[in-house]
Amino acid sequence: MWTPGDHVDDSTQSSLVSGYHPDQPIEFSHKLHAGDRKMECEYCHNGARRSPVAGIPSLNTCMGCHKFVNTDADAIKKLNEHYKKNEPFPWTLVHKLPEYVRFPHKVHVLAKDHQGQALLKCQTCHGPVEKMTTVEQWAPLQMGWCIDCHSQTKEPATPFKKATTLAPITCNTCHY
Amino acid sequence: MGTPTTDELEKLEKQTLVDAPHEDFERSAETFVPGPYYAAAEEVMAELEAGVPTHVAGAKANPKGLDFSVDRRDFMRLFTVATAASAAACIRRPVEKAVPYVNQPIDQVPGVPTFYSSTCGSCAAGCGILVKTKEGRPVKIEGNPEHPVNQGALCGLGQAEIQGLYHPERLKTPMQRHGRRLDPVQWEDVYSILGEAVKKTSKIGIFTGGSTGHRHEFFLEVLEKVGAPKTALYTWEANSIWSDIAQAHEIAFGKAVIPRMEIKHADLLVGIGTDFLEIGVSPVAAAKSLSAFRTHHNGKTGRFVQFETNLSMTGANADKRHVIAPGSELQVALLLVRSLYEHPKVKVSGIAHTMAQSLLRTHQSELDRAYATLQIPKTEFDALATEMIQSESLMLVGGSSMFSEEATKLQLVGILGNLLLGAYEKFLFIDRGWMKSPVVPGDLERFVAEAPQLDILFVIDSDPAFTTPASWGVTGILEKIPTVVSIQSFPNDVDLVSKFALPGHHTLESWGDEEPVEGFWSMRQPVIRPTTDSRQAEDILLWILATSEKNLPYADYHAFLYKKWEAVQQFSGNLTVVYDMFFKAVLRRGFIGKLTVQTLFAQLKDFSTHLKTLRPLSTGLQLIAPLDHRFHDGRGAHLPVLQETGDAITTVTWDTWAAINPNTMTKMGLKRNQVVELSTAAGKLKVPVYPLPGLHPDVIVCPRGNGHTDARSTISNNAGLNPLGLFAKAQDPLSKEPVTALVPVKVAATTEWFRLAALQKHHDIANRKDIIKKVDLPSLKVAKKKNLDHVPDMFPKLEEGEYRWGMAIDLDKCTGCGACVAACSIENNVPQVGRDQVILGREMTWIRIDRYFYGDVNAPEVSFQPVNCQHCHHAPCEAVCPVFATTHDPEGLNAMTYNRCIGTRYCANACPYKVRRFNWWTHKWGEMGKRAQDRNPRAMNPDVTVRTRGVMEKCSLCVGRLRDAKHEAKETGRKVPDGAVQTACQQTCPSNAIVFGDLHDAQSRVSRARQDPRAYLLLGGDPENGHYGLKTLPGVSYLSEILRYGLHQPEHEQPHKE
Repeated sequence: MWTPGDHVDDSTQSSLVSGYHPDQPIEFSHKLHAGDRKMECEYCHNGARRSPVAGIPSLNTCMGCHKFVNTDADAIKKLNEHYKKNEPFPWTLVHKLPEYVRFPHKVHVLAKDHQGQALLKCQTCHGPVEKMTTVEQWAPLQMGWCIDCHSQTKEPATPFKKATTLAPITCNTCHY
Repeated sequence: MGTPTTDELEKLEKQTLVDAPHEDFERSAETFVPGPYYAAAEEVMAELEAGVPTHVAGAKANPKGLDFSVDRRDFMRLFTVATAASAAACIRRPVEKAVPYVNQPIDQVPGVPTFYSSTCGSCAAGCGILVKTKEGRPVKIEGNPEHPVNQGALCGLGQAEIQGLYHPERLKTPMQRHGRRLDPVQWEDVYSILGEAVKKTSKIGIFTGGSTGHRHEFFLEVLEKVGAPKTALYTWEANSIWSDIAQAHEIAFGKAVIPRMEIKHADLLVGIGTDFLEIGVSPVAAAKSLSAFRTHHNGKTGRFVQFETNLSMTGANADKRHVIAPGSELQVALLLVRSLYEHPKVKVSGIAHTMAQSLLRTHQSELDRAYATLQIPKTEFDALATEMIQSESLMLVGGSSMFSEEATKLQLVGILGNLLLGAYEKFLFIDRGWMKSPVVPGDLERFVAEAPQLDILFVIDSDPAFTTPASWGVTGILEKIPTVVSIQSFPNDVDLVSKFALPGHHTLESWGDEEPVEGFWSMRQPVIRPTTDSRQAEDILLWILATSEKNLPYADYHAFLYKKWEAVQQFSGNLTVVYDMFFKAVLRRGFIGKLTVQTLFAQLKDFSTHLKTLRPLSTGLQLIAPLDHRFHDGRGAHLPVLQETGDAITTVTWDTWAAINPNTMTKMGLKRNQVVELSTAAGKLKVPVYPLPGLHPDVIVCPRGNGHTDARSTISNNAGLNPLGLFAKAQDPLSKEPVTALVPVKVAATTEWFRLAALQKHHDIANRKDIIKKVDLPSLKVAKKKNLDHVPDMFPKLEEGEYRWGMAIDLDKCTGCGACVAACSIENNVPQVGRDQVILGREMTWIRIDRYFYGDVNAPEVSFQPVNCQHCHHAPCEAVCPVFATTHDPEGLNAMTYNRCIGTRYCANACPYKVRRFNWWTHKWGEMGKRAQDRNPRAMNPDVTVRTRGVMEKCSLCVGRLRDAKHEAKETGRKVPDGAVQTACQQTCPSNAIVFGDLHDAQSRVSRARQDPRAYLLLGGDPENGHYGLKTLPGVSYLSEILRYGLHQPEHEQPHKE
């Protein structure tokens, strides 16, 4: 049983969820876009710093470039078809937290360390996406894995003050 | 809820009335009216399973008994919406799709809510709303804080409209009648059939509800186009206070206006049968004003004296309440006018003077006798008159318990009283920003006379078949009209006799506007695309006109409004912007206006001729059918959250009751929950009785609003009874409104029983002295600041976070309206459980309003107390949870982790405040026996977990809102400023009774409220005398009630001796 402050060993569980790699309707390559072409993650997932959800780019974001770029490829033709018919594109969801968990992307993306540097990169949780073609789930996304990060010491204990953690570890941080 | 043993129950049953009216009422309610107050769960279960008590409305008992199984057909019929895939229990979850926009709207970020400003359409008060939408879907309605009518607050009905929007039983398609059946039909066919019909005749009428905006103007244009006279527009509201006040001002000043009230500037308010807090003319505005009026500041505070025969919610909030005989309101008003007039300091001249003089002379002998019959001595009136004259005061008269033949007369006397007091243009404005009447007085009477000649009648957003007394024969008239077209946002009784039943837009889907105060316009805009195949009523008319080749020059109703608002721009003086920009700016802000001025007050006429005769006081029992403060005339009865909110005074949910004074009941040998037969000249009705202290012994109160018998609405069908069948056709001769109060009634006991689903099973506060506290003004003057957190205990010191969240609830301001309950339920996805489960004590509301009576049974003091989770620092619930599902957060929140909860219910047993709620069932999608509750997944707040069976839940102090505010603060690198986060209950409270914030910040409003001399903790003992109660140290503190008249100190005020 986990109580605040305990370490949770997820090693027995992590394989249950990490590595989920479903087929997508088109073989969208993150390696090409984010790796080779060095596009910023937030160019497409632009909700990450503004919203609890990072968001999957709308079709017109794709078509902004692909109206002109590589229009002959089959995948792009398929995109174009959907776009012309005003039909949304049904991707398969990879990262999914249970319904009783609230995870806001915004605060994580904007989190700064004491020097004002970004504390987390997208890759911290999503893994080396820039090396994947279609995305697979890299991290276990289980509570113990979250807590490992949250419970890291931010300021060590002094005789007058208890140590502070990097992020709150109370239950209602995520569960409400 | 206590569950005593059988022996105790038997003992309680045997107890009889001790004839001692001043007996300590709070402790022993059972001694007044013996009856099944308490019930063991097994007993109730057995009762429900046996199918008794059956509903007295002739509804069938459930032959299978209490059916907890899924009624598959109900399930399928109710919820055809796609449900989200459930969470997987297996390793590989079901494959879910993530479907982004094709073209993402430029102002939308998925996950970030968008707020649209609009105007509430639940009644004609015209409150401004902000609708929170997520991904295009409204999830919560809140009052617009900038809107001058409601200033951010909203009543329960306004809050519940989210359920109205997503209600699964709204009509999906237009329907046409074939014999007794309504069959689906295409919109094109509707237009062509009705277009043809409109071509052939000009005998066309429109019957609709109240509106102050451009809506009625549009209907008049339609009528003109089809060649019908302007008089063929009938506007009617069951809340005839609008008509009564408007008619009285028409008589007195020559124009049908309603004065805009500003109670807050007065010191003394005298009400005679008024119920402005329940519905009145603008309940939220009135509650806001009353809250400011009652604010205690440096020994100054407003005082409210009420004379009434019924125990209304408004009267329950009065500082001094006189119980008067039914029908004597007019006499009381005249006696008060007399005392005012005779007071040497009253300076009144001109018409008011002559009117008062002649009136008092005419009725001299009657009034002389009235002191004796009313049992209120002249000295009391004189003393009140002196008090009124010495302070800034006003009179408010009449309400839904006074819709009798004399309703308008009472308003006239009220006008006279206010003239004597000089209240006009000080607290009641008819010259500077007055209110428009949303209806034309007397339209119902005209309708009844003229409608039989009509060929086509459109009934739009109005239910005259249900809300008028049966004796007016409205249903029969509708049946006789060859073509009745019913256009409603939710199916109602008009559909049952109409030729066409057409789905109209819900308020949140429609265009519209209101002008609640002259010159002040409030815009209504759609915030979602229609959820069903509905149309805006005005657009339906435009299509019909177009089909009959009588086109109006508007493409749709929006175009009509767009044209009309040009004049508003001219009027409001915003001429520097292009019109289109102006229109868009108004849409964004929600309202625009300019104070208008007229000189109506100077045109006062002598109206004493209308007051020549007074109806003699009748003796014997009289029946009153006031409007229900939750669902008004019945328009909200299909919304489960309102049904389960419970009436403010009786706390009865789902049912209709006949409230009778406990002493009268004892005299008649009646018991609580016994069914009686009420019979009047017009009809009979079997209804269960509820013993209600504070009623006049001669009055029987049976509220209306419930009692629908239409199987199409699962929620309201057979919930309660409609008392309107008991009223013979009679009307107020001045305003022509139907009489729904003060008719003689006979009561006969029956052998039937019906257990009313009351939330509060008893009035007992177990003799605790630290639940409700009251303080009188002199002791408040010398009272010191409090330090509630100074409690000596041996508990280990808790970890203290950056904040400590706390709440303070002002019992002096709480009016018991229940808006917080509705707001909380909508915000936090709190399920409604249905009548049977309420009887078992399994209601789920996170915040409840307890109501307590003190003192004399005939004239008790009433207190309301909202109780939510107290967020104890030393929480008994946390200590007993075996799985750490409920833990303490360093910021003072008592956190509930649903996914850890295994449902032992230890915490609920440990909680001394009884605020924990257990999910006995997964309350969703119509699984709950007969009363299928709608839990449309689209109506859920996506930011709060939806709980399932076997899980404990309770108030979280809207932790989701807290998180959002903290994240925002983090972004800017500051602390959360005071007031930046509001809980749902606080946000909607029409009387500003709730404050929330950081207790570490000594300057925050909640900290100051916690240090207030009136502050105390629930079950926190008497700290001044060294008794600290349970030492739970809640984060929620209460502010005691102020006894402005130093009424008899209840026993529990005395220091606790131990």
